[in-house]
Amino acid sequence: MNSLFTSALVLLQGGVLDNFEQSIKHPDLSKFLIIGALLFSIGVAGVLTRRNIIVIFMSIELILNAANLNFIAFSRYLQEQGSLNAVAGQVFTVFIIVVAAAEAAIGLGLVIALYRNRETIFVDKIDLLKW
Amino acid sequence: MVLQGWESVFFWVFALATLVAGLLTVMARNAVHSALFLISALVSVAALFVLLGAEFIAGVQILVYVGGVMVLFLFVIMLVNVSAEERGGEELFNRTGQVTAAVCFVALLVLGFFYAINHSAARFAPDPEAAVSRTDREAARLRPAETGVSKISEDTQRVGASLYRYGALPFEIASLLLLVAIVGSVLLARTSKQELAHDDVDPQVIPELSAAGELTPAEIEAASRARAGDA
Repeated sequence: MNSLFTSALVLLQGGVLDNFEQSIKHPDLSKFLIIGALLFSIGVAGVLTRRNIIVIFMSIELILNAANLNFIAFSRYLQEQGSLNAVAGQVFTVFIIVVAAAEAAIGLGLVIALYRNRETIFVDKIDLLKW
Repeated sequence: MVLQGWESVFFWVFALATLVAGLLTVMARNAVHSALFLISALVSVAALFVLLGAEFIAGVQILVYVGGVMVLFLFVIMLVNVSAEERGGEELFNRTGQVTAAVCFVALLVLGFFYAINHSAARFAPDPEAAVSRTDREAARLRPAETGVSKISEDTQRVGASLYRYGALPFEIASLLLLVAIVGSVLLARTSKQELAHDDVDPQVIPELSAAGELTPAEIEAASRARAGDA
């Protein structure tokens, strides 16, 4: 436990707190990646802990948005590096948004059908394939 | 890729707004509040997209997510919402053990992400002079906007060209996916009562449905009378 704490401290000193002012004033690619990582983790926490199936769907949208943020950040980074076809990240993001819309439509249709049959939207009450 | 001046201020504002709204989405007791917090998180992410120079994606995010998906979410919440959860009669989260395990897992995940990103951040360290000169060179090429204050970004044009040049097949597959999603969600959300009213239930199935208790004889009668009236 102690070693874990020390390693976390070393981690902070090595990366985040190193030239702290510089990184606050001039956020670079890694700050966008960290925001994306935190958003992803919040989404995972929502999926794992909530009971309401609609809120679970919304947490999945958060996860997809975290992925989109990473794609766009890398796309911008590659553009400035002069990479060919650097907008591939943005194109991929369009497809992720399409899939998210389709997923939401189907998932919410399932929720409505489920509610009609079971009168509940709590995932821990839905534990049978046939009733 | 380094943000300067006001850009970095806006970055921190929208980054914090995204994280706070995301947390509140997960924590809110009322599902409608959850949806509204999710909308503000999505709008903040769209603002981050604008900061990253992806104006087209930001517009798509607002139009599709906020205008389409979230409206769908709100409709469904209002159709099925169980008010017991809002009044505090129902547990919001799973059992304590599950929540503890999940939070530990997520904390490890965050630690791992931080380690990985910090570890590799040095390799993505910007070369400020090269980046600035490249940006200047690019800006010199661009067409000035009508106001003459700024230049027109070529970004959207490039996304469109790339979408149809390199992603034409995935684009068609995505349209097929959307078609399947439309048909599937209509099929899932329909009831046998609605199907009967639209005269597309096989007459042989009607006795089975009424035997299963999904339709009362009165409903079948009413539907057939309505159909006769239409004809």
